[in-house]
Amino acid sequence: MQLLNLKDREVFREWKEFLESLGISNFQENELAQIDSTLGMYNDAGSLVATGSVAGNVLKYVGVCNKFSVHGSHFNTIISSLMNLLAQNDIFHVFVFTKLKYSQSFQHIGFNELAHTDLGAILETGDTDVKDYVHRIPQQPNQVDLQVASIVMNANPFTLGHRYLVEQAAAANDLVYVFVVSDDVSLFSTTERLALVQAGTADLNNVVVVNGGQYMVSYVTFPAYFLPTPDEAITYQTTLDARIFKNAIAPGLNITQRYLGSEPFSRTTGIYNQVLQKELAPAITVHVVDRKQASGQVITATQVREAIAQNEIATVQDFLPATTYQFIQKHLTTLQARIQKGMTIHGN
Amino acid sequence: MEIKKTAIAGTLESSDIQLTISKADNGISIDLQSDVKKVFGDQIESVIKDTLAKLDVKDAKVKAVDKGALDCVIKARTIAAIQRAAETTDTPEWEVL
Repeated sequence: MQLLNLKDREVFREWKEFLESLGISNFQENELAQIDSTLGMYNDAGSLVATGSVAGNVLKYVGVCNKFSVHGSHFNTIISSLMNLLAQNDIFHVFVFTKLKYSQSFQHIGFNELAHTDLGAILETGDTDVKDYVHRIPQQPNQVDLQVASIVMNANPFTLGHRYLVEQAAAANDLVYVFVVSDDVSLFSTTERLALVQAGTADLNNVVVVNGGQYMVSYVTFPAYFLPTPDEAITYQTTLDARIFKNAIAPGLNITQRYLGSEPFSRTTGIYNQVLQKELAPAITVHVVDRKQASGQVITATQVREAIAQNEIATVQDFLPATTYQFIQKHLTTLQARIQKGMTIHGN
Repeated sequence: MEIKKTAIAGTLESSDIQLTISKADNGISIDLQSDVKKVFGDQIESVIKDTLAKLDVKDAKVKAVDKGALDCVIKARTIAAIQRAAETTDTPEWEVL
């Protein structure tokens, strides 16, 4: 077992050919760039027989050639080595996204499946799990008797459009959970986005703002490198997201309603909304709320980020609650510096 | 002994057991996975519990993935995981065992 240096061209070539022979074909720059470490096992003849990588707390690019191994032993060795590697960095809660046919192999070594589709599965293992996550979310003593709604948002940053969606849900339900997606791939950090949603909804006393943790994984960051086409990847990602929500999150909180903003612009988000409606019914009723307009324009967070980049934040003041606007004013140079450093402002 | 952080010991290889021990506040809970759970599940859990008790661990969450480990291996992995989790690897209490 040894660490592989994928920066070494020869090592990379052998690693890539090995995985390609096992049916993994996506080696795009943006996937590879996320890899922190890669382990490899060689046989006596010096050729690669098993490999696996870690990216944060996600196992990726796991490939095992079983030609010369006793049933599954290389697989178990590589996974426990990866877990021990993560443990050295104090990471004990581990996720894996894999083809459906390998879900059993992971379950056999202590992983629990969170959800699966025909294309792939997501599993987790370690010192905490989705039950602990749901358990930590604050609940009302009489929650089972309440009508509980939910909204999942990235809120990058929180606009009056988001606020309108929350208001609609708050008016029609006893309790509303707002889950803020916690991927740090956005212009505004997770902490900032959470704080701005909290500040922007502080006056609505039946609204609880929650960190989405790793279970409201936005489709932006679901790894899908093992799927051949982008459309399959989107469907796979959104279906998994919907199923985790429906099966692992909603029941424990008595959530029966989900609110979405209509999506006139982004094709991906459009597909996402369709999949959610299809997957969540009938246990959860999906409400699609038309986007709020300000000065004749639909409010989008994208425009707010563009205004920050162009140094014209006054043009979007009408789109924002005072709390978000003041935050941007105060941290304008920091935000602009992030954009200059290459943080993308498009997408979600 | 107090569990201060999560720690892991052992592997998923044949004849071994992978133990993850983490903080808890209401006693000992063991989540055991094993192909031989039906026959040896109680035995494996009792070895883990005895070892925890000998090292005076009162609250802990244990996740164990067994691959056919013998009692001595289970005991050794449990001790290693506890000492890592309690941050006492530099001052092991051999005499209590």
